Amino acid sequence: MTKGDKCLIALVLLLSLIGIYFVKYYSTNSGSKYISIQVDGKEIKKISFGANMIGKTIDIKTEFGYNKIEIGDGKVRVIEADCPDKLDVKQGWISNKGEIIVCLPNRMVIEIKSETDEVDEIDHISY
Amino acid sequence: MMKQLRKLIFLSLLVSLGLALSIIESMIPIPILLPGMKLGLANIVCLITLVLFGYKEAFVIAILRALVFALATGGFSSLAYSLSGAILSTLAMSIVFKYFSNYFSLIGVSIFGAIFHNAGQLLAASLIMENFKIFSYFPFMTLLSLFTGYFVGLSSILASKNMKKILGEN
Repeated sequence: MTKGDKCLIALVLLLSLIGIYFVKYYSTNSGSKYISIQVDGKEIKKISFGANMIGKTIDIKTEFGYNKIEIGDGKVRVIEADCPDKLDVKQGWISNKGEIIVCLPNRMVIEIKSETDEVDEIDHISY
Repeated sequence: MMKQLRKLIFLSLLVSLGLALSIIESMIPIPILLPGMKLGLANIVCLITLVLFGYKEAFVIAILRALVFALATGGFSSLAYSLSGAILSTLAMSIVFKYFSNYFSLIGVSIFGAIFHNAGQLLAASLIMENFKIFSYFPFMTLLSLFTGYFVGLSSILASKNMKKILGEN
């Protein structure tokens, strides 16, 4: 273990912690959220959260495979999938804006987006 | 002629060693769940080849290992991810090993390899899914690759020391 190794380890540790902080910061900065389901890069379904949606399950059947998602109180998870490793099922609930569940074999992405995405681009308004 | 044959046999042994290591590591359950997270034991073989033979042979081993692993497990959907990761990580490791080996030991080289392996995998995944938000996993993966890279580097130092002796005797 040389000095360069130690510097490298410290630098990578610092950079990845900063990166994690930014990812968390941007994902919790949310307005009203909705679920966006994308297959093969195209958005096929938009679902907004609401009291009547809690506990509902939705089947997503495409040419690439089958997934079943469950919607909770401001959160969503995959409960059934036909992919071999079931990583999307094991990941559990996601609830923050920007969080995603990916199912690579089925080319499916479940993403939580917020409707205020466009408004976010304004930094400050002065009168 | 004899020497070339010996090298050929040694390289093919290394490929099968890497294959065995990847199959074993796919059986080890990992408590932290991140898509694509693995120990990267096969990188030991790649590093050893880089030290004992050179970057050309390391490339051949890395690509062959990814192909044979896909054939052995039938996971052809993941071939694009593992192949792009293997190519990018071997490229990074050969550059670091060739030009910066004054500053970094094999541990540093292996950490570079692990980070670029993640970058390659995420790049392939984001191109296939057409969603670059997958890169929000990147800081988590680099953090974990510090630990796996450290131990992979440590074991390759020990292994390549012994293997150099064997190669020297012949």
